Amino acid sequence: MDVNANWLAAPIAFPLIGAALSLLASTRVTRRQTRTQRIIAALFSLINLGVAIFLLSVTAIGEQRMTLQVGLWPAPFGITLFADGLSAIMLTLTALLMVCLVFYAMGTLDEREGLNFYPLLLFLLMGVNGAFVAGDLFNLYVFFEVLLMASFVLLSLGGRPGQVNGGLRYVLLNLLASTVFLATTGVVYGVLGTLNLAHLAARIDAAPDSLRVLLAGMLLVAYGSKAGLFPLFFWLPASYHTPHPAVTAIFGGLLTKVGIYALFRIYPLLFPDLLVAWQPLILTIAALTMLVGVFGAMAVNTIRRVLSFHVISQVGYMVMGLGLAASGNQLMVGFGMAAGIFYVVHHMIVKTALLMAGGAAELTMGTGRLETGYLGGLVKRSPALAVVFFLAAFSLAGIPPSSGFISKLGLLQTALDAQQWWIAAVSLVVSLLTLMSMVRLWQKGFAGPMEDVVPPPRRPNQRLAIAPIAVLVAVSLSIGIFSGPFFQWSRVAASQALDRAGYIRAVNPTDEIAPISLEANP
Amino acid sequence: MPELYLALLDRILTPILFVLAVVFLIVGHNEPGGGFIAGLVVATAFLMQILARGDDFVRKLIGIYLQPTMGAGLIIAIFSAVLSLPEGGFLYGVWWKIPLGGDFVLEIGSPTLFDIGVFLVVSAFVTSYLLELSRPATGKRR
Repeated sequence: MDVNANWLAAPIAFPLIGAALSLLASTRVTRRQTRTQRIIAALFSLINLGVAIFLLSVTAIGEQRMTLQVGLWPAPFGITLFADGLSAIMLTLTALLMVCLVFYAMGTLDEREGLNFYPLLLFLLMGVNGAFVAGDLFNLYVFFEVLLMASFVLLSLGGRPGQVNGGLRYVLLNLLASTVFLATTGVVYGVLGTLNLAHLAARIDAAPDSLRVLLAGMLLVAYGSKAGLFPLFFWLPASYHTPHPAVTAIFGGLLTKVGIYALFRIYPLLFPDLLVAWQPLILTIAALTMLVGVFGAMAVNTIRRVLSFHVISQVGYMVMGLGLAASGNQLMVGFGMAAGIFYVVHHMIVKTALLMAGGAAELTMGTGRLETGYLGGLVKRSPALAVVFFLAAFSLAGIPPSSGFISKLGLLQTALDAQQWWIAAVSLVVSLLTLMSMVRLWQKGFAGPMEDVVPPPRRPNQRLAIAPIAVLVAVSLSIGIFSGPFFQWSRVAASQALDRAGYIRAVNPTDEIAPISLEANP
Repeated sequence: MPELYLALLDRILTPILFVLAVVFLIVGHNEPGGGFIAGLVVATAFLMQILARGDDFVRKLIGIYLQPTMGAGLIIAIFSAVLSLPEGGFLYGVWWKIPLGGDFVLEIGSPTLFDIGVFLVVSAFVTSYLLELSRPATGKRR
């Protein structure tokens, strides 16, 4: 299938057009303008979903790679946009979550809170999409910054002191990580003279070992901090419970996974031997992240804090997939990576659904506290919400036939196959503790006796708030039941991500600066 | 808090700054300058107005146009990027030659258009930034 490579620019261009149109429509706070912004956001997030599914069909299903040399400049000199199965899977998930979130936000945000929420959401979408298609280290950094700025404004949009406090912690610690990333980028350029990922992959084998260890370590610190890995996760629980539930939902589902994507992209491409040599380190980080996250979740007492700690513990599973990417005895090499990617798919959908449901519960009752006398009795008060929360929670805990079961099974298989018994044990224990934590949420928040708290005057629009959660839960269940094709796409994505030579061939970096012909880049 | 000297000075300086911004925008294609710098110069002109006539004056004058200007700038920039899709691809530079009579030919390209977009975004964004920063701390919150 011959596809116009310019489609790769679409995931960046469409959200930007949407954001620009919503800005054009905003002069002052009126009902009509918020409505216009909503319609634009819904329209462009749907377009973006269409584009993402198209790219997925080309790369993960058609087993191709797509490269766009922007402005027809050859690879290391111009900007390269690149998509393979891994990028396309992430793009599709992001687009799906965005569509659901736009409708959820319509149901839960009031008009004043909603002003300029949707353009910011589209800017965030542009940053995330850009990070997934960036073909060089510097553009990856730039798009990280775009999404960081958009997310900072989204975090502190309400303007309450707690939100500004959480937003400041978030932005300071993330800027620190960005500084490490930028410094690494500088070192890379100073030593290897290029930032294009394909060119780097071709050149980095010639670099001395000390340098490669330094770069790999610094990138692990930078991306690990973005992804919320042990011991750099502390910004996440400090900030995720303060903003509006719609913001928490998209952050918990999306932002840490951009860091995970960067690890999945950079490590197999630039440091494939370190994936073997550093396997104990990566697995230890994964185990500690899982344990700390799940223990943190047991210690806190509001529904969104519990769920944000689970974000951390789940990120550990994905890194476990990365740690097992290079090993395989009975199973083929790359099965671990595929299981990790599959876990990302499962996690992004289910975690967003859970955070949306938790947020809706919080908005319905006016409080998110789990002690006796606050939340409780939601089964009677809002049965539909209770049902979707139940299904999402059991998917997160890994009960069959949900997607959580299949994805945990894949990781466990790889761990046993690689004879890493201890990480398999840790993942099982954490899984059990997650189940306990979900049961606690259910008992305290949903099942218990109906508390006579006074509900807030403005309750969310039940239909608009619950329908997107139901869609996500349905997707999660169908991934669990029809896991064959989904796992096949993950395997294609994993094999593409692990195939360095294929990446270099697809981007084809040159040493001669001459504009490439139109035919080479249709 | 209007200042007399500044109010006098800005009558002289503000037009000069605006003209300078346009000059920077146009020469920026080949020489130092460009949309970003021109946008900053425009923001400086508005900063002058804020200092001389107070932030309420400037807010009433241009406040409601700032966000639409950012939007328009982004639209222009994206338009310049997709304009070249049939000729070579996303963000490929294309130039048109417009004869002006005699020996004069105006050569205008999509990079210039992109620069104009950047100019609009930066000038509106930095101005709105300055307006927010100059809001008195005791004033009522939005």
